[in-house]
Amino acid sequence: MNGIHDLGGMHGFGPINPEPDEPVFHAEWEKRVFGLFATTSAFAGFSVDEFRHAIENLPPAEYLETSYYEHWLHSFEEMLAIRGIVTKAELDARVDQIRQGGQ
Amino acid sequence: MLLTPDLVPVISASGQSARVDEKIAARFKTGTTVRVRNLHPTTHTRLPGYLCGKVGTVEIDHGVFIFPDTHAHNLGEKPQHCYSIRFKATEVWGPTAAANDTLRVDLFDDYLDPA
Amino acid sequence: MAKTKPAPVESETAIRVRALEAILIEKGLIDPKAIDALVDTYETKVGPRNGAKVVARAWFDPAYKQRLLADATSAIKELGFSGMQGEDMVVVENTDSVHNVIVCTLCSCYPWPTLGLPPVWYKSAPYRARTVSDPRGVLKEFGTILPEDVEVRVWDTTAELRYLVLPKRPAGSEALGEEALAALVTRDSMIGVTVL
Repeated sequence: MNGIHDLGGMHGFGPINPEPDEPVFHAEWEKRVFGLFATTSAFAGFSVDEFRHAIENLPPAEYLETSYYEHWLHSFEEMLAIRGIVTKAELDARVDQIRQGGQ
Repeated sequence: MLLTPDLVPVISASGQSARVDEKIAARFKTGTTVRVRNLHPTTHTRLPGYLCGKVGTVEIDHGVFIFPDTHAHNLGEKPQHCYSIRFKATEVWGPTAAANDTLRVDLFDDYLDPA
Repeated sequence: MAKTKPAPVESETAIRVRALEAILIEKGLIDPKAIDALVDTYETKVGPRNGAKVVARAWFDPAYKQRLLADATSAIKELGFSGMQGEDMVVVENTDSVHNVIVCTLCSCYPWPTLGLPPVWYKSAPYRARTVSDPRGVLKEFGTILPEDVEVRVWDTTAELRYLVLPKRPAGSEALGEEALAALVTRDSMIGVTVL
């Protein structure tokens, strides 16, 4: 698809700015999302191709404003919802529960 | 399958190759000049848009691989050859690109026509 | 006395990840210890020091270099490195006339077994957008300026082959052993944004 992910040759993104002495992960949640790829594909049986396509389905503005591991999270959410394993409503309810001090 | 910690070193060291062990004829020999098809599917593809219509040369035949465009949508593996295609930077980006520079992009049989 | 730092507010994303993991654990679909093991593997065991060993061996042993350029996957496996996002490898050699640089414009494909997980800049829009169309401008940002007669060869690695650059052996390293050579090799030189 002619999506925003197809970045080759685009102008206007500015300098690259590599981070000196960059850690492998920048937050605990990034580690959990990273580990969700292998653990989730093991039971849900998705391919890396389906995984990438779910990332490409992000709305363009959101794609550019979110980070690499946020793209991964979006992909897992989409693929698990399509399979009926974790619905959006179920996840949103759990997020609310955590916000209110639950687990 | 439930991925347990004891399996992590195994899957990490083995991975899952997209190479397919099937005898499938290559549409192009190395050294052939090819033109990238002008394709704009609304579905998944690994053809970068900037290459549509560009002319290059088959540099390496990597062998037979799963075709991501169908595989992403559970439409089968459609195994086919994947090649490293050489493009002159000026062919892709015009006369302001450096004359000596090249691009090498891995493209599938289904993305290519004879030039 | 040092001030006590207030507890950091958990981001929306962090909460969402915690919620998803909790649901999957409760459904018995994932084992969180497997996530711990994956994180530990790619945080402490798999990284660019692996790639540096491959490069040093290639500099040190001409027969190994030949095998590496002919069948990178097998030659890299000889040193014990293989697997996820390095199932099918290609090694490309920098010479006096060719400089190679690796990018993935469509996502962020990267050879995990030899380089570990990619840095943020490699995954960023500016690197992915510009490396294919203005490689010399990108290299300059990394302090790499190449003569005009050198071919800059950009590999947009959008299929399932993963690439590693074999940098040029630095001048003055002739007397060094394999371990000392490996210490000279940087991650960025194996992506091809710098030279040694």
